Parts: sequence; C-alpha cells; structure tokens
Amino acid sequence: MATNAVGLFHAPATALAAAGELKGAGFASLSLISPVPIKGVEAVLGKKKSVIKRFTFVGAISGGLFGFALAAGTAVLYLHPTGGRPIITIPPFLIITYEMTILFGILATVLGFFISARFPAMRERVYVPEAAVDKFAVTVLCEDDARFRRAETILRDAGAEEVRKLTQEGS
Amino acid sequence: MSLVGDFLTRWRAYRKPGYIYGDEFDGARRDYDEFDYAWTMTIDLDRCTGCEACVTACQAENNIPIVGATAFAKGRQMQWIRIERYWEGEYPNAKLGFIPMLCQHCDAAPCETVCPVSATYHNQDGLNAQVYNRCIGTRSCAVYCPYEVRYFNYNNPVWDAPLAEQLNPDVTVREKGVMEKCTFCIQRIRQAKDHAKDDGRRRVRDGEVQPACVQTCPAEALIFGDRKDPESRVSISMNDPRAYRVLEELNTDPSVIYLKKVDDNAG
Amino acid sequence: MQAEDPNISYADVNRDIVRSLVETGPKYYVTLAIAFGLTLACFFFPWFYQLNYGLGAAGVNHPSVWGTYLASFIFWIGLSHSGTLLSCVLHITNSPWRKAMYRSAEAMTLFSLMVAATMVMVHLGRPWFIHWAVPYPNQMELWPNFRSPLLFDVMAITTYLTGSSIFIYMGTIPDFAAVRDRTTGWRRHMYVLLSLGWRGTDTEWHRLGWAYTFLAVLIIPLAVSVHSIVSWDFALSLVPAMHQTIFAPYFVVGAIYSGTAGIVTVMFMLRKYMNFGKYITKLHFDNLGKLLLVLSLIWTYINILELFTGWYSGTSTEYEALTYKLFGYYAPLYWEMILFCAVAPLLLISTRFRTSFVPMLILSIAINIGMYTERFLIIGTSLSRQYLPDAWGLYVPSLVEITILVGSLAMFVTLFMVFIKIFPSVSIYEVKETLPEPEDGVAEWQPTQ
Repeated sequence: MATNAVGLFHAPATALAAAGELKGAGFASLSLISPVPIKGVEAVLGKKKSVIKRFTFVGAISGGLFGFALAAGTAVLYLHPTGGRPIITIPPFLIITYEMTILFGILATVLGFFISARFPAMRERVYVPEAAVDKFAVTVLCEDDARFRRAETILRDAGAEEVRKLTQEGS
Repeated sequence: MSLVGDFLTRWRAYRKPGYIYGDEFDGARRDYDEFDYAWTMTIDLDRCTGCEACVTACQAENNIPIVGATAFAKGRQMQWIRIERYWEGEYPNAKLGFIPMLCQHCDAAPCETVCPVSATYHNQDGLNAQVYNRCIGTRSCAVYCPYEVRYFNYNNPVWDAPLAEQLNPDVTVREKGVMEKCTFCIQRIRQAKDHAKDDGRRRVRDGEVQPACVQTCPAEALIFGDRKDPESRVSISMNDPRAYRVLEELNTDPSVIYLKKVDDNAG
Repeated sequence: MQAEDPNISYADVNRDIVRSLVETGPKYYVTLAIAFGLTLACFFFPWFYQLNYGLGAAGVNHPSVWGTYLASFIFWIGLSHSGTLLSCVLHITNSPWRKAMYRSAEAMTLFSLMVAATMVMVHLGRPWFIHWAVPYPNQMELWPNFRSPLLFDVMAITTYLTGSSIFIYMGTIPDFAAVRDRTTGWRRHMYVLLSLGWRGTDTEWHRLGWAYTFLAVLIIPLAVSVHSIVSWDFALSLVPAMHQTIFAPYFVVGAIYSGTAGIVTVMFMLRKYMNFGKYITKLHFDNLGKLLLVLSLIWTYINILELFTGWYSGTSTEYEALTYKLFGYYAPLYWEMILFCAVAPLLLISTRFRTSFVPMLILSIAINIGMYTERFLIIGTSLSRQYLPDAWGLYVPSLVEITILVGSLAMFVTLFMVFIKIFPSVSIYEVKETLPEPEDGVAEWQPTQ
C-alpha cells in the first residue's frame, strides 16, 4: 500500500517552496492540492503537457466531416428536390458542417479533459478537505517509513502547519 | 468504372436539381426543367369575370374546410384559389380588375427550401407537392411564399351535417396544425397518368386532365396543360404577347402564367 | 483588479456561498411557489388548451402566420446570448471582473435556451411530431431537409445548449467539490456525484484550465453563429423588410444587447436577495453599463441603416413595409422601442447613472421590453405588409399568447430559482483568485541550479 505524506500550508508560496525542497531531495511523485490554481507550479514541478488539444482538434475535424456527410448523405438517400436547388447544396450544408465541427469539438474536449485529468474518480484518492477552503497541501508518495520520515522533516522545516499520513491511491 | 470516377459522376449528378432514375448516372444535365411534366396554367385576365366559380369548384373538389364566420373574421378563410380584386382610379372613372391567385407551383419555390422536414418538395411531375402527413406546422412555408397562397388549418375542420356527405373520397381531409395549398388537383393528374398507362401510352394527352377550377370556368379563362408539349393549348397560349408572371422579379419561376387584360380605353 | 473588499478571506467566500445554497428562508419558498404556480397556470394550462383546440387559440391568421410565439423564441434565444458568450470573451481576454458574475450569467443562457426550445414547441402546429426535425435513422428512411434555415436552427441550438451546459458544468466542478465537503445528507450525495472526485491537484487545475479555454474558444463562434442562423430564418425569406443582409449582425448585436441587460437585472436580484453585495459591486454595474452603452449605439446604427436601405431600395414593397412600420398600426410600439433601446440608454454616459443600482435595474428592464418589441415588430409588421395588397392583414396577439408569454417568464424564474440552490451562483474559486494570496512572509522559492 502506498504511503503519502501530506503537508498543509497556509500560503501558496510556502507550499511551492516545500514542493521544491522535496523535489530536490529526490521525491518524484509530488503534487499540490489547492483551492485555486497556483501560479508558478510549472516552474517548480516541471512543465505540464496536456493531450486535450489533440482531442479537440481530432474531434472538430471529424465533426466537420460527419456534419457534411450527414447533410449530403441523407440528401442522397432520399431525393427531395426543393426550390430548384441541387441535391447536394453546398452553402446550407456548410452551415451544418460548421455546427457539427463545434459540437464534436466540444464533446471531444470534454472527453479529453476526463481522460487526461482521470475523471470521474472511481476510487478514493489522496485528499485534504481543507484544501478546498484556504489551505495549500503538498502530497508526496513515499516508498517506505524512512522516506516518509524524511518527507515529514522536509515539510515541517518548510513551514507546514500539519503533516498527515494518507494511504489512498494516487497523487 | 473506378471508385473515384464513380464518385465524381455521382457527385456531378447530385449537383443538379431533379430526380435521377435507376442507374442513370451519366452526368448529363438534368435540371428542374427536366421533370416528367411541366404542368402549367394560363389565366386570361381578359376573360376572367371574377365570378368565383373556380373558388367554389376548388372548395368542393379538394375538401377545403369551411371555417365559419368567426374564423373568417379573424382572417383564416381557406381558398386554394382566390379572386384578388383591385380597383384602379377614383370613383367616376374607377376600374375593377381581377386576378385569380393560386399556388404558382414555382420551379424555384422558396417554400420548399424552408421546410425542415421536407413536407413540401418538387415531385416527379414538377409540381410543388405538399405532404400533409409529414407537415409539423412551422408555417414557415406560408411566410416564405410571396403569393400568400398557403393556408393553415388552425382548427380541426368541421362540416355541417349534409356537407360531410359530399366530401371527395380521392382527397385527404387535413387535420389541425397542417399546411395546405393548391395541388393542381393532383388526384386528377394521377388518374390521368393511370389511364395513359392502361392504354399503353407513356404520356398524358393534352386536355386529358383538368383541375376543377379549369373545368368549371364558364368564360374559359383558365387553360391547363403540359408546357413540355409544344402543341398543347397551354404552350400556345403562353406564347401570347400578353403573357406575364406575377412577381417575376423574385425569380421564383412560377408555372402559372397570366395574360394581361387589354384595356381599350387606356392611353 | 484586486478584491472588492480586502477583508474577505478565503474561508469567508466558502462560508458565504455555501450558505446561499443551504440556508433557505420562507421568502424563497414563497417566490418559488408563486413562480411555479404561474408556470403551470400561465404556460402549461393554456398550452394544453391550445394543443387540444388547435393553433386557432392564438391570434395568428392568414398573412401573419407567425406571431408572438416566434417573437418570444427569438427573445429568449437573444437573452441567452450574453451569458456564455460574454463569459467566454471575458475569460479569453482575462478580465477579472467577470469572475463574480459569470456563473449566474451562464445559468441565464442555459435557462433562456430551454425556455426558447419550449417556445418552438408551442409555436408548432403539430408539436407531437417535432422529432421529425431531428436527424435520426428511422423506418421511413426519411431525413430532415438540411437545406432549411429552420434545420440550421435545430442543429445550432442543440449544439449551443450542449456547449453552454458543458461550459457551466466544467467551470463549476471545483466549486461542487468545495461545497461537497461542507454539506451533509442528500446534498452531499448529489455533490459527490457532480464533483466527479475533484481534489484540486496541480494537474487537475492545469487540465481544467486548458479544457475551459478550449471550450471558451469554441463557444464564441458558436454563439455568434446561433443568432445569425436565427436571423436567417427571416432573412432567407422573400418578405420585404425581412429579406435583408444586415439581419445576421443585427440579430447578434440585438441578442448581446438584450442579454447584457438581462445580466444587469439578474445581478441586481442576486445582490439584493442573496446577499452577494460583497462580491457583486458597483464595478460590475459600471462595466456592464459601458458595454450596454456601446451595444445600444451599434444597435441604433443598424436600425438607421435598416431605415436607409428600405428607403433607398426604391421598390414599392420595401417602401410600403417601411412606412407601415414607422407610421402604421404598430407605430406606437416602434417608437416605444426607439425610446427604450436607443434614447434611454444614452443615460449610461454618466458614471453616476452606471453606478446606481436601481436606475440600472429600471433601464435594463426597459431595454428588454424594447427588445421584445423589436422582435415582435420584425414579425408583426413585415408579415402584415407583403407583396400582394389583397393579402395584407393585421395581427393582434390573443389572450392565450399573452398568457403564455407571461408563463414563459415564470418558467425562466422557476428554473433560475432551482439553479441558485444547486449551483453555487458565484464562483468560489474564481472569486478567491481575485483576492490577495495568503502570505507567510517567506521569500519566493528559487530553483537551485
């Protein structure tokens, strides 16, 4: 079972500094839990890349193709000449294409967000309820008790108000 | 044929309006003038006396509901063909003119494109058809029609006791919430086509089919026929120099052609 | 912008907003009961009567086949146009004053869209077949007509409804999590499900930030397209005074205009009755007021342009439609619209006016009355004066139509009142972002080389 050391801080700057110390001490699996997005996390924990933009792109492109195929395909399946217009009428079908591009783009973005941020959570994960109000928490995965004690020392030295031992999965 | 070539042929075919039958993907131009027929009506305004016999005949033939006084006062009367009356000039020299106004069966009909459920479309005869069962009652076709010849069923139609006995069995009775309009008596056209087929003919002969209004007109102001047949009465009459079409500037390409009234006293 | 009141702490924000969800006074229940009762009595009851009796219950007649139902549809779609659109634009441009008000503005979008969708059903002659306008494989092998501007509407509004509900939900996930920890009982179960297990880790914030921005970028062109498409329902017809190229921008501007006025009204109500005075301040009213002023000027410009093209066209039909609009049967309504939407908003030029709450409320309501009139006139006057003088007519709404209009307003209020008890109506985490960060006096951490 994984052991996590969780340090609670009053200020985001202190929490970030503690995270930096832990990283320097060789702890790899680190994360911050905060009530607001903290500026400057990437400078400490490394640059983050998200795959969401790929989802959005692929979703939007396939939505556009689907939209045109839907409009043109159904027009061909059952012929209804209207108003002296061709069966496959480009300008109106482009509007359908446009709307479907956006619809699929939106749905794919949501899917990308769920996958990349691992939602919805099916199991309990490391969590500090105070961090939804005004505390900033640093959680760090520790392989054994010795590492846990080391992490605890670093956290306390950095100014943690409290250090907790949590055993849930994930960080 | 290769897959790409096949696709291109089909694409070119579908970039034209009209129907494509069977495997006729020859890419030939088949535009909306090339439906099976081009049913046309000419209305000679010189002959029209405004007697409204056509209105009555249409009412009887097509089971058009009689809306009653209250609805009439609200402006909900139904007349697939109506006689528009226009006065010209002031009292002592006032002149009265009539224009029978009915669905123009436009080849580029604005009402067709707007229907979200394809309840109105161009059928194989080149007629502007209305599918009552499919109509969901958005009434947008009536807004888009510049001739104001589409009528909406605001309530379920009611026929007083003896009138219900004279309903035409060949024509559907429409329920509330459905749009309706002149069909050029499509039931008669269908019948004529069936007869032609029984006789082994491919096409209907000129004069074989007449809508109720044309049949009734005592002054013979209305002529109906296929303008694809250059010999037909309607083709001849539409080449009259008096011929014009109402609101032609809107490019709706109507199939009803009016022959202007010649005014002896003018100028 | 820094905090409105530097004395608010992070914990205060949580407490205030959670309180708005769980503490409910008798006033709320009374208002909700009245709104719901009105919805039933004024919306559903007349509608059932109309379904039974036929559209004859409305005042529509032969040339004027469209009436207030469609005017209400455009009105509600228009009202929906500020919430999400404004929120997205302000998110992308990084304007911090958005943060206290965007949640309720987005809710306005969502609910006015829902009301608009029901108005379509009321408008139809046979609404029980409305599913035929939706593309789905069926045994008739018959599909909707994608060439129809009405079908563009179906697609655009579906997309817009999906997009804006996802947008508001995504933005609320962290707040659901915050509320989850503070509530008990059935509320807790609901928020546990809604928050999806949000914890607020750096990765989660990062992903949310990206997804949210992408959604905002996608929704801006969508919102603009939605009202352009609604305008094409009219502009693609041949009806004089409707068949105009200016219609798409005209409708979009009108929509944002009435929507912004709607936000002012909603902000006032939230401030007054939900005790959000700390978060919704004069600054918001000032900024919204400036926006309203600009929009009213653009709107006036387009109106002048419409008059000019009508006059300059030289065709008798356009000219007749124009004269009828200005001096005909509906002329008092036209001048009322000009007064409410073009003249009165000029008051916004004064800062004192923009920062006084009650005058802003009165003006915002006046603007929306004027904008409703505008939609009514587009349909009413244009359809009564078309090409053939024999088919000229007059349209006067019936009692059923007026009742349903009132009912639709009550339905909107009902939905909104349910919303403020389920969704935190002021964003918890984004308000916190505008507050000063808690500090320990520790120097900023520098990475060791």
